[in-house]
Amino acid sequence: MEAVINDFISKELVQDASLLPLGNATSLLETGVLDSLGLLRLVVFVQERFGITVDDVDLVPEHFDSVDAICAYLRSRDGGKVGQAGGNG
Amino acid sequence: MAYLLQHLLTDSAARAPRRPAVAVGERSLTYAELDGLSNQVARALLAQGVAPGDRVGIFAPKSAAAVVALFGVLKAGACYIPLDPKSPAARLAAIMTDSGVTVVLADQATAPQAAAMAGSVPQLRTVIVAGPHWGREAAAGPDADVTSQGPVVVPWDEVLAEPAGALGPDAAVDADLAYILYTSGSTGTPKGVMISHRASLTFVEWATACTGLGEQDRVCSPAPLHFDLSVFDIFATCKVAACMAVVPEMTSIFPARLAQWLEREQISVWYSVPSVLTMLATYGNLRGFDLSRLRAIIFAGEVFPAKHLTRLMAELPGPRYLNWYGPTETNVCTWYEVPPGSAELTAPVPIGKACANTDAFAVTSEGGRVSKPGEEGELYVRGSGLMSGYWGDKEKTRRVLVGNPFQAAYDEPAYRTGDLVTLDDEGNYVFLGRRDGMVKTRGYRVEVGEVEAALYEHPAIREAVVLPVPDEMLGSRLRAVICVDGPAELTREEVVDHCRRRLPGYMVPDVVEFRETLPRTSTGKVDRTGLAEHGR
Repeated sequence: MEAVINDFISKELVQDASLLPLGNATSLLETGVLDSLGLLRLVVFVQERFGITVDDVDLVPEHFDSVDAICAYLRSRDGGKVGQAGGNG
Repeated sequence: MAYLLQHLLTDSAARAPRRPAVAVGERSLTYAELDGLSNQVARALLAQGVAPGDRVGIFAPKSAAAVVALFGVLKAGACYIPLDPKSPAARLAAIMTDSGVTVVLADQATAPQAAAMAGSVPQLRTVIVAGPHWGREAAAGPDADVTSQGPVVVPWDEVLAEPAGALGPDAAVDADLAYILYTSGSTGTPKGVMISHRASLTFVEWATACTGLGEQDRVCSPAPLHFDLSVFDIFATCKVAACMAVVPEMTSIFPARLAQWLEREQISVWYSVPSVLTMLATYGNLRGFDLSRLRAIIFAGEVFPAKHLTRLMAELPGPRYLNWYGPTETNVCTWYEVPPGSAELTAPVPIGKACANTDAFAVTSEGGRVSKPGEEGELYVRGSGLMSGYWGDKEKTRRVLVGNPFQAAYDEPAYRTGDLVTLDDEGNYVFLGRRDGMVKTRGYRVEVGEVEAALYEHPAIREAVVLPVPDEMLGSRLRAVICVDGPAELTREEVVDHCRRRLPGYMVPDVVEFRETLPRTSTGKVDRTGLAEHGR
């Protein structure tokens, strides 16, 4: 799961080449990787790739500020089944 | 009568010295403080040899320091150029070289980066650190040891040692330039739109009246300084001694956080591009917050998809909804207020009617004036709100600042917007599309030619065409179709990386396609329409 998300962010959102390879714990907000439309694209990707709907209340920095945070959020969804069935780590 | 932008500040400071001028979280600068600090910055600039008419860079995000800095530049009789710290160094260097900037004002956090620009901009001789520094930690710590090989760095302490009293009478006149805003240029280099004090005040005068802006208002726009939306929250706010609230970027990114911030800060007037509002409507849980103080939401920069505007108005029915239209070259020239309780909108709202003291008219392909509903033509604008031209480019200026086609007795400029419009039954102008290769993405304007020029700089790219792909959220996404030279191999990542080094993020193509050849029309030009129709 970390690799899939890191890959998407690295390819689609990172503008500053000096940030690559992107660390899973790197703050996407502090490094400026995430802006309001980057966030939207990330949410759309996550929803489509993992088959979930992100609720308003979950769209917070704690769940989206790093690859690790996103994965922790996804794993906490639906009793931890997200990303397991047919998913690749 | 206030005839220079800085008079707005000195008048408000005299009338309402203790009112908050700029608020950043818990902290704010009063009008008296803003007035005093900007006087000090002005003196520091003069001490560094800045002369009337000089261009001075402002290298900082929207902040108290940036507002102090820009008023300081104006008071020194110079004109400011906002330099976006997020832009690649090469692009900033091109802008600074084009405009002849030798002195830059940075804040505590951006000062090291500003000084480092001397590497690509040898004529950069001075960096002045502006404050106050609340909430903006220095990259190198307080009293930043900005070791500089090139420019002199003037620390904030030195600026604070300057007298804070008013400077002498202004030598500038309202025809003088207040600021230059750089926008995308079709041949590859950004164009500097020159705005005089008079042009800016023409907009400010209308905008304060249109919104009924007053001392009690708390105004917020997340737009960066180089985007002319900022002229509203900085100068219109200043004119009425209202408060400009700065939204932290991290807050503006997460819709629910933004909604919470709007509630806590009691924002009364919001001005932004539509995409931020779409995010707010979709994910902001607006009904969960008390936004009763928000009395006006203004949007500009690109078309607001009807579906998302309808949703926003349903989620938040209280405020007035205003569509302000106008290129950087004219600031806002037409406007439209969305009738409250609008049933489901099925089409984007009109761009409306001309602002006060502005003449907007449309010219048909036959050279006549559009006067009946349904007639189409290119929108022209006439009046004191027009730019003075593009810095250093008389040729490009001449192409768009033309003689008024309907008045031949004397020379009088009119600006051709390149936007095609029609009239509706109520006499409102309705936007139809562009005449050329300019597209809007995330509210920013992008000349596809500038992106193509950047692509052509890659040695392996033989041909490149950039096309807009309509996108509901973004306005347009950018699609690059590329032919590689001979046996060369190029990956999408390499193309994107190449663009990122030359262009701001919003100009980097989202979609990259490789082809053997590009389809052509019968005249030998690239068949862009064909590509657009058969593309994704």
